[in-house]
Amino acid sequence: MDFYITALLIVALFAILGSGVWIGLALTGVAWIGMSLFTSRPVGDSMVITIWGSASSWTLTALPLFIWMGEILFRTKLSEDMFKGLAPWLEKLPGRLLHTNIIGCTIFAAVSGSSAATCATIGKMTLPELKRRGYPDSIAIGTLAGAGTLGLLIPPSIIMIVYGVTANVSIAKLFIAGVFPGLLLAGLFMAYTIVWALMHPDQIPPADQHFSFGQKLYESRHLIPVVSLIAAVLGSIYTGIATATEAAALGVVGSMLVASLQGELSWKNFRDSLLGGTRLYCMIALILAGASFLTLSMGYIGLPRHLAEWIASLHLSPLALVVSLMAFFIVLGCFLDGISMVVLTMGVLLPTVERAGFDLIWFGIFVVLVVEMAQITPPVGFNLFVLQGMTGRDIAWLARRALPLFLLMVVMVLLMYFVPGIATWLPQQMSG
Amino acid sequence: MRHFLDRLFDATGYLASVFMIGTLLAVLSSIFGRIIPALELRGADAYAGYCMATSAFLALATTLRRGEHIRVTLIFDRIPAGIRRWVDVACHSFALVVSLALAWFSIRLVRQSHAFNDISTGFDATPLWIPQMGMAIGTSILALAFALDLALLILGKPLRTEASAGERAHIE
Repeated sequence: MDFYITALLIVALFAILGSGVWIGLALTGVAWIGMSLFTSRPVGDSMVITIWGSASSWTLTALPLFIWMGEILFRTKLSEDMFKGLAPWLEKLPGRLLHTNIIGCTIFAAVSGSSAATCATIGKMTLPELKRRGYPDSIAIGTLAGAGTLGLLIPPSIIMIVYGVTANVSIAKLFIAGVFPGLLLAGLFMAYTIVWALMHPDQIPPADQHFSFGQKLYESRHLIPVVSLIAAVLGSIYTGIATATEAAALGVVGSMLVASLQGELSWKNFRDSLLGGTRLYCMIALILAGASFLTLSMGYIGLPRHLAEWIASLHLSPLALVVSLMAFFIVLGCFLDGISMVVLTMGVLLPTVERAGFDLIWFGIFVVLVVEMAQITPPVGFNLFVLQGMTGRDIAWLARRALPLFLLMVVMVLLMYFVPGIATWLPQQMSG
Repeated sequence: MRHFLDRLFDATGYLASVFMIGTLLAVLSSIFGRIIPALELRGADAYAGYCMATSAFLALATTLRRGEHIRVTLIFDRIPAGIRRWVDVACHSFALVVSLALAWFSIRLVRQSHAFNDISTGFDATPLWIPQMGMAIGTSILALAFALDLALLILGKPLRTEASAGERAHIE
């Protein structure tokens, strides 16, 4: 009997979501139905108490602040500066300026928590520059689509905060755990670009200017603002001086400082970034509110426990479990955005994951990687939407260009499975 | 009437951004309080949380009116326009019911916290009904926004001018 009601609830959830009801409210509505079917507790009072508790929790305060920081940086000349500072160093590498996409995204990811913002900020600089020099669109846009997703894996990261709050894992440790996998993935992307460039030498335009070593160093001065921001935010977390939330506050102040040094901190930019950040956070907060109530309701129904028992009874090997979870998330990621995907599944999946003996930090990085894949899988992929807006190409074309980088992410997941230290070694070295 | 409501939704949006600044200041005070004890604000953590929650709840309506709350439009966009309007009416009705429930029980929570004199367990010792007011007001205005949109939909009037959509949100 319970099984049928639970199945019915899940079907109802997807029907309501699919018909276009706002995600946060759909979750709240289904949670209400589920809870009133399974308990005699006062549903409305539990609902607002749960939502109030999650909406006002201290750990979550890192989220709005990092979002605001990203909105400020989007309105600075940071990406222009980065292009100037990076380009002279990359002229000798096969693939030349294509690497500005990857290295640019990697660096920007270290001050931005969002993959769409990373993609948009770097792309608005590199795409016109690469086109002007005659680089083919297909590879320029493809590498940007893939590298933009590093915004999630390299800290700070919105999705890591959401996971950390849901799974009750230290956000600072998650952040640090993402550093090495992020750099490794960027390395894989660069290796792919080099191989592609060696196979298609005729499609890469010649270097446009020769720089002496001294000139290169001098041009690198443009990188000073972004590097200092990274040092302030990640450095303070790694050394244990600041919590993730405090680092976010330092980041907001630091990015305002960078903007004002560039003469870009006008009243209009300040107001737009503040209002934009407030609304963006509000949108996420509504999803989180619905998800917190749904998690409570699912607990009453007993779905997480039943699922964990059922999966344990299948006696899957850990590798089979990881691969099937990856497949499940990739399919889900075709239809849902990353945050909804994480909050919807984590409440239900965590007991299963713990029972299978996975380290929750390692699993967090795994989830972030899979959410990254979801960013570039059609029909719903936020990076594809951003690129569609920037280039006017259709989603299917964009997704094909991003496919090789998608496959590299699958390779990355397997690498991380066989060498878990990639994610877990660095956080173990942290003080505090 | 509609003009007044639009102004109201905008105004709560601006107020929400003031609370966003409040969140930043509360976190900063906890950092500087460690360096210069004179600046320490007791219970800064809790104040940051209250400001964040108030900011999110107050911004609900303006975010909705700008079409920035996420919904799954995969199927929705492919429905023929005539039927789509009625699916949208159903979506708005569902959302109106849920947001009314949120508003109703939030107001009840504020009244109960006030009546039982609920105090925060942290260093701040704030009477909880004060920060909870933000949730009650924000969700009530959200319900109002859904009621307005539902009425406009049924009357066949446009919900918002498409040009004001602006650049896509930089989420994720």
